[in-house]
Amino acid sequence: LQAPCILTSVCLLFAAQRHVLTYMEDAVSQLLENREDITQYGIARFFTEYFNSVRQGTHILFREFSFVQATPHNRASFLRTFWRCFRTVGKNGGKYSNICWYLLTAQEYHCLLQLLCPDFPIELTQKAARIVLMDDAMDCLMSFSDFLFAFQIQFYYSEFLESVAVIYQDLLAGKNPNTVIVPTSSSAQHRQRQPPNDCNPLEGVEASLFYQCLESLCDRSKYSCPPSALVKEMLTNAQRITFYGFLVALAKDQGINRALGALPDKDDLFLDPVMDQELEKLVAQISGLSMSAPPSSSGDTASMPVRNSPRINSPWKPLHHRRKMDAESEGSNEETDSSEN
Amino acid sequence: ELPGRAEAPPKMAAYERRRAAAAPGPAEPGRAAPGGAEPPEDSAGEFLLRAGVTAMVREALLKVLEARPAEPVSFLAEYFERLVPAEAAAEPPGPPQRLARALWYVRLAHHSHRTAFDSNAGAAYEVLGCGGRRRAAGVDGRLYSELLRRICQRGAAPAEAAAALLRRVRCRDHEAVPFDVFRYGVLTCCVLLEFAAKADALFAVLGGGGSADTRLCQAVLRALEDALGAGHGPRPGRYLEAGSRLGPDGLALAMDRALQERKLGSSMSREEFLKKATALFIAKVKPVE
Repeated sequence: LQAPCILTSVCLLFAAQRHVLTYMEDAVSQLLENREDITQYGIARFFTEYFNSVRQGTHILFREFSFVQATPHNRASFLRTFWRCFRTVGKNGGKYSNICWYLLTAQEYHCLLQLLCPDFPIELTQKAARIVLMDDAMDCLMSFSDFLFAFQIQFYYSEFLESVAVIYQDLLAGKNPNTVIVPTSSSAQHRQRQPPNDCNPLEGVEASLFYQCLESLCDRSKYSCPPSALVKEMLTNAQRITFYGFLVALAKDQGINRALGALPDKDDLFLDPVMDQELEKLVAQISGLSMSAPPSSSGDTASMPVRNSPRINSPWKPLHHRRKMDAESEGSNEETDSSEN
Repeated sequence: ELPGRAEAPPKMAAYERRRAAAAPGPAEPGRAAPGGAEPPEDSAGEFLLRAGVTAMVREALLKVLEARPAEPVSFLAEYFERLVPAEAAAEPPGPPQRLARALWYVRLAHHSHRTAFDSNAGAAYEVLGCGGRRRAAGVDGRLYSELLRRICQRGAAPAEAAAALLRRVRCRDHEAVPFDVFRYGVLTCCVLLEFAAKADALFAVLGGGGSADTRLCQAVLRALEDALGAGHGPRPGRYLEAGSRLGPDGLALAMDRALQERKLGSSMSREEFLKKATALFIAKVKPVE
């Protein structure tokens, strides 16, 4: 790619900041892998489709983990896709019940993640589960909503959380990263060495001090951080805070969720009138054919995808639309091919 | 900066990384497919230059830097869309383009990643089926056969095997092909390609070069045939049984016995081995009604 050679470093910085080069490079890689087919199809058409797919957030589907986590937009798109594909897992019984039937373990959520990203690392899933479960055993059940919001924080702000962990440990050990060491009297030094909570068995660290460190972290970091104003608000009422207390608060904070912009509010997680309509249409189609699928409420259909999907009769919707819709109703990955005998 | 992502990594490195990260696909020796006449490959850089991609991308990036839009991705999508009429007549893509697009979809994910493969097969079906003027044209037997033929072209599968497979899964030219049949045909072709690649690798182990000892080849082929015919119980049990029949100890014994039983004889060519091996696979393919 000769282009970078003729651009100034300032221009490169702009492009890199918006990850334009990341996407352009990825597009060219795809082009090279399928050069004959794409040349015949049309190169400009290919690039159009590629960038439209990035715009819509469908580009991360089935991609390798290194790409999925490469940009904030990719991470947000992945979160959104995971939510749209699997919210039926957590959906309550539709019009007829308010109980959420589906609780899954971390391992099961990980299987769902791997359907969308085959090499998604288990460590990330486990760290997310840890936020929900805290001291409970790792094979405990979690609701879709709890897991999703914890996972969002863990995945989107991975690097930030790593830095926060270091800061937290330092604070616990009595090291204040913000302190200016005044090498004068020995008593002054002695005072600084003493951990703040030396005498009282209080948990965690002092909230305001913790926030100060976070604020300077957010200012200087190159990766995504939650907006410091929202973090400050979150910590206002606390005197002290533990690391996991902080993570849980982050996960539950709807302001931060909204600022991130990937997922809807917690209360709207299962709200999708368009989807419900589509599902009712599909159910009508299926019951119209002589299939063995039992007629059921749309709520049930949503949670138990019908195996003989109506693909047989109805043409598929356009790609980007289809990936949002059918991926939701198609949760089955049963090995029911007639090719396998 | 985000881990794993340097600011402007060289294009070739990213290309190699992507291939390495992608799910295992058919082995690349398929480039020199028997009977196939593949033109010598340009290097990536040469191809990009020749196809006008380098110039196109450079122009696009310059435009982005000039305009510095708030949403560069949307900007680029629209920019390239405006280029499309210049490249092709402003009509919906004809059958050759749609075939190319469908082929591309089918090759995106390995068939073992079933969710992705199914999703892509659906996309391929849809793109093939959207007729130019007649909106809901659907996929007819002719397009379906052509797609399958092209899938089989790029791989180690011998032409006869591909033809035999096509005979089993084909539909009549003017018949509308339902999606489940389409998917079955596409999946079987992809599995055939992988099977042929593995058989190719197996042959390389047996002898390397263009030929190997016939006794060894026949012993291995017999073991393969046994394994493929293994068992009549539920599927997981059959897989386990087949796997155990192909275990290194049993296979080593069979090969050793074969070498002792007969005197040093003829050698089998790679083509013949592949033909016999793929025939075993084809025999297991259920024909389409």
